[in-house]
Amino acid sequence: MTGFLASDPVRVALVVGAMAAVVSGVVGVFTVVRGQSFAGHAFGDLGTLGGSGAFLLNVNPLWGFVSVGAVVAGAMELVGVQRRRGRDVATGIVLGAALGAAALLLYLDTTRSSTTGAAVTVLFGSIFAVASGSLPVMAGLAGAGVLAVVALYRPLLLSSFHPELASVRGVPVRAVTLGFLVLMGVTVSLTSMVVGTILSPALLVGPAACALRLSRRPGVAMVLAAGIGLVVTWAGIALAYASATWPPSHAGWPVSFFVVALVFLAYLGVEAGAAARG
Amino acid sequence: MSRRMVSGPVAVPTAAALAVALVLAGALAIAAVLAAAGGVSGASPRHPSAAAARHGSGAAIAAVGAENQYANVISQIGGRFVKVTAIMSNPNTDPHEFEASPSVARAVATARLVVQNGLGYDSFMGTLESASPSSGRKVIDVQTLLRLPDGTRNPHLWYDPSTMPKVAAAVAKDLGELEPSHRSVFERNLRRFDRSLEPWRAAIAALEKRFAGAPVATTEPVADDLLAAAGLVDRTPFAFQAAIMNGVDPSPQSVSTEQSLLKGRVKVLVYNEQVTNTVTQSLLAIARAHHIPIVGVYETMPTPGYDYQSWMTAEVHALTAALAHGRSAPRL
Repeated sequence: MTGFLASDPVRVALVVGAMAAVVSGVVGVFTVVRGQSFAGHAFGDLGTLGGSGAFLLNVNPLWGFVSVGAVVAGAMELVGVQRRRGRDVATGIVLGAALGAAALLLYLDTTRSSTTGAAVTVLFGSIFAVASGSLPVMAGLAGAGVLAVVALYRPLLLSSFHPELASVRGVPVRAVTLGFLVLMGVTVSLTSMVVGTILSPALLVGPAACALRLSRRPGVAMVLAAGIGLVVTWAGIALAYASATWPPSHAGWPVSFFVVALVFLAYLGVEAGAAARG
Repeated sequence: MSRRMVSGPVAVPTAAALAVALVLAGALAIAAVLAAAGGVSGASPRHPSAAAARHGSGAAIAAVGAENQYANVISQIGGRFVKVTAIMSNPNTDPHEFEASPSVARAVATARLVVQNGLGYDSFMGTLESASPSSGRKVIDVQTLLRLPDGTRNPHLWYDPSTMPKVAAAVAKDLGELEPSHRSVFERNLRRFDRSLEPWRAAIAALEKRFAGAPVATTEPVADDLLAAAGLVDRTPFAFQAAIMNGVDPSPQSVSTEQSLLKGRVKVLVYNEQVTNTVTQSLLAIARAHHIPIVGVYETMPTPGYDYQSWMTAEVHALTAALAHGRSAPRL
């Protein structure tokens, strides 16, 4: 592990991972509470389309993730697609079509613009290959995301648990719903930079689900989720760094594998603890 | 966790599908425009080389070069008695990622001579050949010709100055067997081809004489054999080169090593123009910031304007200019 913190790619990865973990902890708790983890998957699938398109246009995949996230949030709010019940066939087909279109874009990426690693970067993330120039943008998105949750905390909470009461009290439920979907889109963009689009819902929902097992209070759960996210992400980066000497290739295992495996272990641990407590 | 519903509009599935389909349609439209814009470079390499085909009087030997550098050598040896198809020649394509199309399968099925690289670089060729077995077809597998083991880690054999003379000789021999009446022509062309490699060999010798031992960095192993022939020392860890070649993320350790090399510890960055990603692009920026000259190298022969010899000679001249005057040549 010599030179871990002295390595430029590692330092960028730790910063990117921390930002994604904190935002997804905060946004993830509301995602779980509102029962919208399926929408998180939708953002991931459609983000694949955006990321692979970004490679074709030779821009940072982050822009593809974010722009698709914003458009999709609007579309979802418009048609209420974020709720799965009764529509799973339609959304399944649409998401499948999105991934199919992404397959075409990834094919064009490798055959037209010689971006060899596009598929790995988009689907599974390339956190050690994030251009340091995109850090300020990501920090801005992450900061705006956390601030938005803090600012919208009360109306979000009320509309999540008691939507009817929220309407009666004059909370603009549709606006809050749309705002939250945009927040999710931004969050999934950031987590996609860490673990890729396919695995991004795991980082969004996993730590939050663990935290809500430990505390029913949303505020506490958010802090816990951010903390769990931070631990699994940084531990994943450290393990990926250490894995450079591991078989079979002695070239390192992917970060996304470690992060998602640790999320899964954390969830198992929390569930086992809850079961033991009865 | 209880699922609590947010109040919202009730929508029919078709509306949902329609809205998201609009997003998809937009993305596909962008893809279609891009594909059309690059259509010429994207599609033409898949089709038989028309220039070579025109000479065909019906008696020309149909031949296939899996990479256009091999196709080029076949046509130099066979002249007007062969009709050569190059499978991979798009400089924007990474040949490692290539997938065969029906037109490629047709070209291989009708070919009487095939030259392929081997070492897993163009493994689809073997698949296509076994899909259309032909007792009359001669296949030159360069790996087999050079008796290289499967574990040979650098598959880019054509950058080694000793490779192509052997390939050319094998091509001349096979063409002579396929068309004995023209054997003397093929042998004469072979001698001419061998002579035409002299300027390249001389350029390598001159480069070695002036700069042997000079440290260089690479992004990918493509030109490593040429660098070794000129006595230049490739400081980039092979694990890094292999990761870039295979389209996976290099380990942070090897990225750090590569970055530190480009901060003044090497004289040239040898950059594979056909295998790029976020990491290689960031290396370009570091090299420029530290005034390290960049020399572009290719998986397949850059066209138009080059044949195999002039391409290789141009690479050596670009390396020499980079070492002597710090001049960059990111593209030939």
